[in-house]
Amino acid sequence: MTELQAEQGAQALEVSHEAKTRRNRDALIALAVFVLLALLPAVFSSKLLLDFVIRCAAYGLFATSLNLLVGYTGLISFGHGMFFGLGAYGFGLMMQKTGVPVPVAFVATLAITFVVALVIGAICVRLKEIYFAFVTLAFQMLIHSTILSWVSLTGGDQGLRGGIPRPPFLGIDLSNQLHLYVASCALLVIGLFLMHRIAQSPFGYTLRMIRDNATRASFIGIDVWRAKLTIFVLAALFASTGGIIMALFVSGAYPEFAYWTISGEGIFINMLGGVTTFLGPMVGTVLLLILNDTVTRLTDYHGLVLGIVILFFAIGLRKGLMDFVVEWYAQRRNGDGERR
Amino acid sequence: MLEIRSLSKSFGGVKATDNVTLDFADGSLTAVIGPNGAGKSTFFNLITGALTPDAGQILLNGLDLAGRTPPEIVRHGIGRAFQVASIFPSLTVQETMLAAVCADQRKASVLHRRFPLAETRDRAEHAMELLGLANKRNRTAATLSHGDQKLLDIALALVLDPKVLLLDEPTAGMGTEERWRMIEKVRELWETQKITVVFIEHDMDIVFKIAPEIVVLCYGRILATGKPDAIRRNEAVIEAYLGTEHHAGITV
Amino acid sequence: MDLDALTGCLASSACLVTQTTSGFIIGMLLFLVAVGLTLIFGVLKVVNFSHGAFYMFGAYFAMTAYQFSGSFALAMLCGAAGTAILGLIFERVFMSRVYGADVLMQLLVCYAFVLIFDDVVRMIWGPEFKSMGMPAAFQVVPLFIAGGVVPPYYLLLIGVALAAAMILGLGLARTRIGKVIRAAAHNPGMVSALGINTGLIYGGVFALGGMLAGLAGALAAPVRSLTPGMGFSVLIESFIVTVIGGMGSILGALIGALLIGMIRSFGSLGFPLFTEGLMYLFMVIVLVSRPTGLFGKEVA
Repeated sequence: MTELQAEQGAQALEVSHEAKTRRNRDALIALAVFVLLALLPAVFSSKLLLDFVIRCAAYGLFATSLNLLVGYTGLISFGHGMFFGLGAYGFGLMMQKTGVPVPVAFVATLAITFVVALVIGAICVRLKEIYFAFVTLAFQMLIHSTILSWVSLTGGDQGLRGGIPRPPFLGIDLSNQLHLYVASCALLVIGLFLMHRIAQSPFGYTLRMIRDNATRASFIGIDVWRAKLTIFVLAALFASTGGIIMALFVSGAYPEFAYWTISGEGIFINMLGGVTTFLGPMVGTVLLLILNDTVTRLTDYHGLVLGIVILFFAIGLRKGLMDFVVEWYAQRRNGDGERR
Repeated sequence: MLEIRSLSKSFGGVKATDNVTLDFADGSLTAVIGPNGAGKSTFFNLITGALTPDAGQILLNGLDLAGRTPPEIVRHGIGRAFQVASIFPSLTVQETMLAAVCADQRKASVLHRRFPLAETRDRAEHAMELLGLANKRNRTAATLSHGDQKLLDIALALVLDPKVLLLDEPTAGMGTEERWRMIEKVRELWETQKITVVFIEHDMDIVFKIAPEIVVLCYGRILATGKPDAIRRNEAVIEAYLGTEHHAGITV
Repeated sequence: MDLDALTGCLASSACLVTQTTSGFIIGMLLFLVAVGLTLIFGVLKVVNFSHGAFYMFGAYFAMTAYQFSGSFALAMLCGAAGTAILGLIFERVFMSRVYGADVLMQLLVCYAFVLIFDDVVRMIWGPEFKSMGMPAAFQVVPLFIAGGVVPPYYLLLIGVALAAAMILGLGLARTRIGKVIRAAAHNPGMVSALGINTGLIYGGVFALGGMLAGLAGALAAPVRSLTPGMGFSVLIESFIVTVIGGMGSILGALIGALLIGMIRSFGSLGFPLFTEGLMYLFMVIVLVSRPTGLFGKEVA
């Protein structure tokens, strides 16, 4: 069941200005969510909670952008984490080496990501699914090994140390936790809003067609390669933004940010939350971070526990949590199960 | 006017399409027939860009489309439906139509507006009405019956306002009664839409009853072209069918 | 970049021999891992993302067996047989449940096992670097070939790997089981219609693939350090090998592995910081010019 259906119910076409009001509604929801998140510190003053939300923002942007590839386009990228790492290192290096203002470094990092994603995407998106998955993974490993071996620039396996300077701009001081928190929430909400608009745009439906049947899509005049490359680059920009938030949060960048396990976790987050809904990956992010924190506290064998949880979902349930919610909702709405 | 000039394609020495030259007049309805392996589907695949011809031209109103990609060829006005209904399983009928019109209006990569676009509505609605799918608009394509999926496939081609419509076995996998309903639909579309229609069909009863023009392919070559009466009496055709195939379709 | 070192080496026969031998070592180990990967893909249409774990287990099994028995032959046997059993269990209990499911599920199951296996190794053998040590039988004076130093163990390693390649190639081409496996790769429905148990074949192919990777790990144990996670970089490299050689092609895996071995060996002289980069670069060039690999066939 697609979102458009959910909104339209069983009614006939009602396109016209309906679309505009829905978009305004989305903007209002985004604004409301941001205000709620921004007011959170006033109610709960726990530093841990704020840290948690900042990490959710970083991973949430990353995971949701991966869902644009996996869920909406059917491109299973196993190397999407490279853009997360690229964002963290690009931004960190820019701040450390050049001392430009934060917004300039932000934009410049996205520009670098754009170019890198364009080159890698141009090579990868022609490949069939399993090749695509592994060649993206290979590029991720290339970036990771470059970070490790280019010690003079990246600090090698020690990562970018010595902290990232975060000079205040426009009255925003990102070295202050509260300011960073609000800025992260803003980036998260804006990022989600933009990605939702992509998903609901005509281009979003082009992606769905490619996922369902790329051959047919090309026979109604769609340039499949271009569309895939476009979403690959767009998703990379959002993943990079997630990496920038992470670099700001830890005031550094570490090779783990560019390691393949980030991509693996991203795929798992999508599976956990479910790829059939827009917010599934966000739900998955919150769940995985809670799970990670709990498991790390309880045992040294974090991978073992996580692996078993993944198996439970992949072999046992075969669906994400939000998929169950959507199915349950659909069944309640129309018991005949006509529209699945 | 669709003119095919000396079109050839071979696969490892086997000539699947061998120097085929054919004209399809504007507004004509032509059936392509031939024994299994005659190269009918290859012929369609060449015209629509799914395969690149080794040699020859595909002229649509004088413009050579040979060797171009499927999206380009579709945009020039050659639409096609597939032998096995080729649809978007998770999209509804209505979404499919709206998205196809969107693609036809070169708005498939629009990011700043929300789907569906108001200006795509009338054409989508029209196509659904034409193929009798309007009352199933909110069904996802995967849940449609086989016949409806074939109709949706044709609707996908038709909604793009093609000049030429190629239908690869519109009646494949259907029972006798359903076949006739489908082929009546095809004929009705041809009559009302005033477009050039070329279809592949196995059932000789249908072909001889419906198609004003017939092309017989055999081993990649044109065996005969003409009106049903002439084809029915053509020695070479009878030989090809009775000699090589157990097909009992031709009963004069 | 240090092109002088590279050209200097190419001019000296001693260096040439040393680097070529080291390229062969890397290549042959990669081949054993990659050929299992490509075989499993060819028959089961699954990319075993956890294949590196078999390499890792092979090495650890061999080390433990050697420490207990002191016999090198037994160590090799344990490495190969142990991972074969592991592969069989892994396929029958877990992977067989996700055939036909989408690639995402298969990747996730394998991902889960990469995490699990690494932690299992950490639990049993500890997180620190281990080394098996060179068996006494091979602690002899190295051979000098055209001025280059070649440890005898290297020759054994290359010999064993080549023998495995020959046996595998001949076995698939000549024996009945080989024919059944090849038939299963082309048309699994037909094979099961002929009354052959495809489950058994799938399990067997996984066991064979696991055994080859385990053998590679066991052979590598005396010359490499052992650590949890050691399998992953090998997995990535052997995947690159299969991409270059063509998925499903054994000859392709051999050529691809040797190419990567030589690139790594000579590349480490000329481009010490960009050795891995060279490998990826080579893969990209092959992919762009021949998307199905050097020996790959277009799968319709």
